[in-house]
Amino acid sequence: MQASELLNTYYVDTGTWDEMYADAAVREQYKGVVDFMQQMSIEELNKKEEMARGLFMSQGITFTVYSSGEGIEKIFPFDIIPRIITAAEWIFIEKGIKQRLKTLNLFLKDVYNDQFILKDGIVPIEMIYSCPHYLREMHGFPVPHDIYVHIAGIDLIRNNDGSFYILEDNLRTPSGVSYMLENREISKRLFPDLLPKNNVRTVTEYPNILHKNLVTLSPRQISNPTIVVLTPGIYNSAYFEHTTLARLMGVELVEGRDLVVDNHRVYMKTTAGLQQVDVIYRRVDDEFLDPLVFNPGSMLGVAGIMSAYRKGNVAIVNAVGNGVADDKAIYTYLPAMIKYYLNEEPVLKNVPTYQLGSTDEKEYVFENMNKMVVKKTNESGGYGMLMGHTASDEEISKYKLEILKDPRQYIAQPIISLSSSPCYINGTLQPRRVDLRPYALCGPDGIQIVPGGLTRVALKKGSLVVNSSQGGGSKDTWVLAI
Amino acid sequence: MLSRVADSLYWMSRYIERADGILRMLKINYASSQDELHEFSWKPVLLIFTYMEEEQASAISNHSREVLQYMVTGKENPNSVLNMVTHARENARSVQDHITKELWQCLNDFYHTIRDERLAESLQREDPVTVLDVLIKQGLLYYGTTDITMARGEGYAFMNIGKLLERGVQSADILDIKFSDLQYDFTKTDTMYWKYLLLSISGYELYLKTYRSGFEAKNVVEQIVLNNDFPRSVIYSINQLHRYFERLKSDGNAEGFRKIDFMIGKIKSKVKYSTVETIMEEGLHAYLNTVKEELYEVANALDQYYFAYS
Repeated sequence: MQASELLNTYYVDTGTWDEMYADAAVREQYKGVVDFMQQMSIEELNKKEEMARGLFMSQGITFTVYSSGEGIEKIFPFDIIPRIITAAEWIFIEKGIKQRLKTLNLFLKDVYNDQFILKDGIVPIEMIYSCPHYLREMHGFPVPHDIYVHIAGIDLIRNNDGSFYILEDNLRTPSGVSYMLENREISKRLFPDLLPKNNVRTVTEYPNILHKNLVTLSPRQISNPTIVVLTPGIYNSAYFEHTTLARLMGVELVEGRDLVVDNHRVYMKTTAGLQQVDVIYRRVDDEFLDPLVFNPGSMLGVAGIMSAYRKGNVAIVNAVGNGVADDKAIYTYLPAMIKYYLNEEPVLKNVPTYQLGSTDEKEYVFENMNKMVVKKTNESGGYGMLMGHTASDEEISKYKLEILKDPRQYIAQPIISLSSSPCYINGTLQPRRVDLRPYALCGPDGIQIVPGGLTRVALKKGSLVVNSSQGGGSKDTWVLAI
Repeated sequence: MLSRVADSLYWMSRYIERADGILRMLKINYASSQDELHEFSWKPVLLIFTYMEEEQASAISNHSREVLQYMVTGKENPNSVLNMVTHARENARSVQDHITKELWQCLNDFYHTIRDERLAESLQREDPVTVLDVLIKQGLLYYGTTDITMARGEGYAFMNIGKLLERGVQSADILDIKFSDLQYDFTKTDTMYWKYLLLSISGYELYLKTYRSGFEAKNVVEQIVLNNDFPRSVIYSINQLHRYFERLKSDGNAEGFRKIDFMIGKIKSKVKYSTVETIMEEGLHAYLNTVKEELYEVANALDQYYFAYS
């Protein structure tokens, strides 16, 4: 069978924006890939899929699931067909994310210092003080260059009219960037010459930009500051990413036990004694960072690191306490914030969001539960959410009782259908829903976004949940230069 | 370099050296078991390379397949090749930013190879030598990849220190157990016996070239302990160990360096100024034991002065 027949059997769900097809014709940006695939046989495509799996396995791009005392290596599922974004779309996305990130940094500075936005009543005070991620420890402390969010992974989705919406701002320790880099490396192997032929922009600059930004944050004015990536350790599911970033930047990968604080300075324990650390790109959550200040039972952090941070002897990336800005309830106020700080209209739209903390909105949501997706404000990774259109009546009433215990901790959004993208599944081409997470880097010289990102895909048929913990996979994401 | 990283590199290397030693030894002992008229006993092998009790070892010592299964893919045996390779890979995994991508992939392939269920099945049903060869080749790839891709820095020094320390101990162990099997009877001249001992540590050809008079126990001892050109000899391991250790000299850890340098120098002199005759006089078992113990002390001192991070 020729792969050309694949296209004949492809279909688009009604009421969905498809990334490849418009009105039964292939979109311009996909023509190069479609032509290439039409020259292949199913066997060749299967071979490519097999090759991709083999490459992930032998390069150890895996996460380990521990059960019954032994580790099982799992691959984050990868679909071989790239997701393609046109140059025009990218310019728009880039503009929107820059605006968003600029606002979020201004908000964090404000909310941890003068709190003008609260005093002016744009964001209600109780929204901030009821947020568990608002950390008093950060109050009144000037972070270097006023940058709180150095690395953001902002999630975008596409509604049925093709317009982009912001679904979530991930400002704490957004993960997945190593998959953006590795997926591209795999594509180069799977599709020789196809990337340059299609004018796909490169993503390989990411670690260099990140490294350059980290260097500028060093509190000591020395030519070669010590920069480290702090990982929770090899049992963390993103451990592969931590090693990749450390290796690509040529910096040390450390665990909490490698560091020690003495006289408000952070040192790492080396074979030649203690060495002072200047910048820490941490992939450990706030809560576990310093057992003296936060969770006292944490074995992942470093005792005393917050005091060193507040004294300005070490830079921590992302800043501590960013959770207040990517709280799902605060999200609602982002359009107002953009207006307040920048006096601009938002480029990228928010998904309409209902606060269950407000009685009116709660009543509306409760009446329309089957059209809503309800999320906990502080959870990520697709945990603790309810998809109204697939949940049973019993599940809904149970969930309502949960909500009533603490309505502030929940928000609801109308179900947005997410655009679909063709995936190669069991020898056929099938539409699956995707989102997009570009990675934005903010340094003293401004915001840079590497042209690309992570396209997450819900591999289960009809599913709208793309999180890897819920059966999601990923695709290489191509941003075209012209 | 981080102490934890140095520790992991050192153990990664020790585990692979141990796995490689076990594999080679198994291959030759298996060949030997096919060659002997009387029942071949795996007991000395089980006693050196596993934590098995004597009775347990006796119980399976005549069943080659069972021994191979236990020593290669046995999950319950902490010293099985499977477990060694898993430990080596876990160590490598935590220092991926300090080894080359090629080396990481090589260890990762080794790991996936040995965990493949088809391999365990072949070991039970087909020719075990083929299976052992596949694994030995993975080890060779590891050594070659290390040599060609790894930067000659501190990490490389720690990897070699781990490897050579392990090798020195292993060679002393093999010799000791083989002779204890004979109740230290140096008059035994069974050619087969010595031939397989030498083959298991790739020293057979060298022996033939060095000694023209056939197999004699004291020549075997001389080659395995004192031959400078034999890469598995005790003296070679200690000399190289010293060479790589000297690269760690730094101002940051002068005290640790001085102490360990002294300890290695001491064993080195002891072995260098031994002859087969003085070894026999002291008693082979006692001699080998002292060497091993002093090597273990070096390992403990490395732990204390270089790897302590908790």
